[in-house]
Amino acid sequence: MSVLFRSRQQGAQQVKISGLRRFLMFWVHHAQQCIGSLGELARYPFASLMTMAVLGLSLTLPATLYVIVKNTDSIGANWQQASEITLFLRQELSQQEVQTFTKRTELAEEVDSVRLIDKEQGLAEFRQRSGFGEALDTLTDNPLPNVLIVVPREGYRTPAAAEELVRKLSAEREVEQARLDLGWLQRFQAIVNLVRDGFLALALLLCIAVVLIVGNTIRLNISSKRDEIMVMKLVGATDAYIQRPFLYTGIWYGLVGGIITWLATGALLWWLSGAVRNIADLYDSQFRLNGLNLTEMGVVWGLAIGLGLVGSYIAVRKHVSAIEPR
Amino acid sequence: MIKFEQVSKVYPGGFQALKNVSFHIEPGEMAFLTGHSGAGKSTVLKLISMMERPTAGRVMINGHDLKRIERKQIAYARRDIGMIFQDHRLLMDRTVFDNVALPLMIEGYSLAEARKRVHAALEKVGLSDKVRHYPQMLSGGEQQRVGIARAVVNKPPLLLADEPTGNLDPKLSSEIIKLFEDFNRVGVSVLIATHDLGLIARLRYRTLSLKDGRMINDGLSEEAL
Repeated sequence: MSVLFRSRQQGAQQVKISGLRRFLMFWVHHAQQCIGSLGELARYPFASLMTMAVLGLSLTLPATLYVIVKNTDSIGANWQQASEITLFLRQELSQQEVQTFTKRTELAEEVDSVRLIDKEQGLAEFRQRSGFGEALDTLTDNPLPNVLIVVPREGYRTPAAAEELVRKLSAEREVEQARLDLGWLQRFQAIVNLVRDGFLALALLLCIAVVLIVGNTIRLNISSKRDEIMVMKLVGATDAYIQRPFLYTGIWYGLVGGIITWLATGALLWWLSGAVRNIADLYDSQFRLNGLNLTEMGVVWGLAIGLGLVGSYIAVRKHVSAIEPR
Repeated sequence: MIKFEQVSKVYPGGFQALKNVSFHIEPGEMAFLTGHSGAGKSTVLKLISMMERPTAGRVMINGHDLKRIERKQIAYARRDIGMIFQDHRLLMDRTVFDNVALPLMIEGYSLAEARKRVHAALEKVGLSDKVRHYPQMLSGGEQQRVGIARAVVNKPPLLLADEPTGNLDPKLSSEIIKLFEDFNRVGVSVLIATHDLGLIARLRYRTLSLKDGRMINDGLSEEAL
């Protein structure tokens, strides 16, 4: 509908184009502007690629950190499952009492299995492993206690439940001391949490940086097209119409930048995987780095596109409306 | 069609471009606006095309007070006004076709419909054979005609021209004016700002004269000349 001339209808209505056709044309024009902005990028391939690379590489760091945190989480989970409780039994217990206690513990509902390492066995093991063999011969008495290794049943292996079991077992008359080696696990968890929090903060900062970089690039694009924008406004283009190609440019930045993130993250993990395999082999572990899975790749891509769009949106909001024809 | 009521315009910095200007151009009328440079011709055109707002007074188009038109509506309102500039304001990196089709693309025409209209407009200005050319490949007069084709391609009821013959020789100038007469003949209101007094003298159209921001002759009262 014309603003100034009530009797004059807007062109597209005047030529009697059906609502459906006009709806389709709206999308056709969107597609044209979308392809058009790609063509615009192709005219300055080096500059475009640089912006895309900045976007992609900025996201590579958080993506790689994410992969590392994800992998350490899975290590932590493995170790947590294997938690064992070590019971040091009183010295003065007789052989009979030790056997009874072992049986009784094994029957407890929280316990999956028990393994007794009696003092003789312990001494033999110690002699063999420590290298103090001959020095130990001088001992007249065996100083080691009987040790019972308790493996909690599935469901009692979380730190909290295992701790509860330790409390219960250490209350037993026969037990001198009960130890659940959770300390190092908790420390490890704390370090993982620290890395994760640091990675979140870093990711946030890098995302903001990406938005600013894209925004600034789009701002430069806008000011280099100042004259064109003025002409378009003079012939009746709305801000929304003028903005659209720039928004598509932001989307293209994100689209290609996201792919650069995949490639760079993949390359970085491939580079690290050798070192990780070395460490894992030294610990007799089958552990291997897991890269980004399909969903995570999708998230990275979506994030890159979103950041490109947000950056360009901020720029066009501010700068397109500021250009007025003179 | 165009009505100024006691319009004054002071630019930021204090320069008073228009002082109490009033005039009325009827629908379907063709008129010239003259005055030496700095007299306020461009300001009048800018007020009509909503590139500037009046400091005091009212500007009306077809009975609509332009003050009532919100910022968001300006783009739509400009689609009713064909504008032609001395420096053409063509997009140099687009073909003649793309330049002329620009207003249609903005309004959401289909390509087929736009092609039809662009060819009709270019035929009207005699540039049918230059569709695929870029503006740099054309002469000044041809570029101006591309600008005119762009201004009329969506058939606006009002045409504004700011020194359309400014850089052209007399023969080309009269050709351009003939185009405006053709559009006027089919009912389009035309307002042409020019300081080419020789051109006006040869034609018998209403002439409004500005001097130092005042309307010294609105072309209706003979004695003022």
